[in-house]
Amino acid sequence: MTNYIVSGLERSGTSMMMQILYKGGMSVAFDKSRPPNEHNPKGYYELEGGKVINRLMDGTFPMEKYDEKFIKITAYGLKFLPRGNYKIIYMVRNLDEIMDSMEKMSGPIDRETEKPLFEKLNKYAMKLLEEREDIEYITVKYNDVVLNPRKEIERINEFLGGKLDVESAVKAVDPKLYRNVREKR
Amino acid sequence: MSNEKGKYTTVSIPTPLAEKIKKRIEGTGFTSISSYVTYVLRELLASMEEEEEEVFSKEDEEKIKERLRALGYLD
Repeated sequence: MTNYIVSGLERSGTSMMMQILYKGGMSVAFDKSRPPNEHNPKGYYELEGGKVINRLMDGTFPMEKYDEKFIKITAYGLKFLPRGNYKIIYMVRNLDEIMDSMEKMSGPIDRETEKPLFEKLNKYAMKLLEEREDIEYITVKYNDVVLNPRKEIERINEFLGGKLDVESAVKAVDPKLYRNVREKR
Repeated sequence: MSNEKGKYTTVSIPTPLAEKIKKRIEGTGFTSISSYVTYVLRELLASMEEEEEEVFSKEDEEKIKERLRALGYLD
C-alpha cells in the first residue's frame, strides 16, 4: 500500500498542487465539505473540510481507504502520520507570502511572533520527511510552479514514475489566480 | 581536577582511544590530544544545541494550533 500526500504549510500552494494532480489524471481524494471561496476560487481539494489533522491526532483517520490516492495533509498533520508507505509532495513558499495569505483568510497576524513559529514548523516537517524511512518526498516551490509550470510538473512526473498527464496538468496552473507573490524571477 | 587558574580541567579518556586520536592527528594542525578533543566536543555541542533550538515547545505548538483553527484546519 502506498499513500500519496500533498503537504506544506497552510497557504503554501497545497490546493494548487492537488488541482494540478487532479487535472493531470492522478487519483485524488477530496470531498465538498469546504466549498471554493475567494481565498481558493478553484477549491480546496480537501477531505473533511481540511480537518484531517484532528482525525490523525486521535488515530481515527482511515489511511487504508486512500491507498494509491493523493490526499492533502498540511504540515502540522505530518507529525501524526502513522507508520506506512508514503510518497509526499511538499510545497514550499516564501513565508511572507504565506503570512499575507493567512492574514487575508483568518485576520490580523502578529508576524513577529507567528512567522518564526511557522518557520519552525516548516523546518520540523522537512526534518521529519528526511528522517522517516517510510517516506519518499519531493519539495516543490510554489513560485517555481507559477512561473515555470511545465518544468516543475515534469519534475513531479518523474517523482511519480511518469503517471502524470503533463499537458493537462500544466493547464491547471493559472498564474492570474495566484496572488501575494513577492518574489519574481 | 582543575588547574590553578581554573581555565582548564582534566578529563579522563580510555588509553586505546587516546592512542587512536594520537594517530589521527598526526600531520594535522592539532598539536595535542587535548586540542583535538576540545575541537570535537565544541562541534558536537554546537550541533546538538542547533538541533535543540528546532524542537517545538508546547507553547509554540499551541500558538500554531490557534492559527490553524482560525484558518479552519483544526477543530
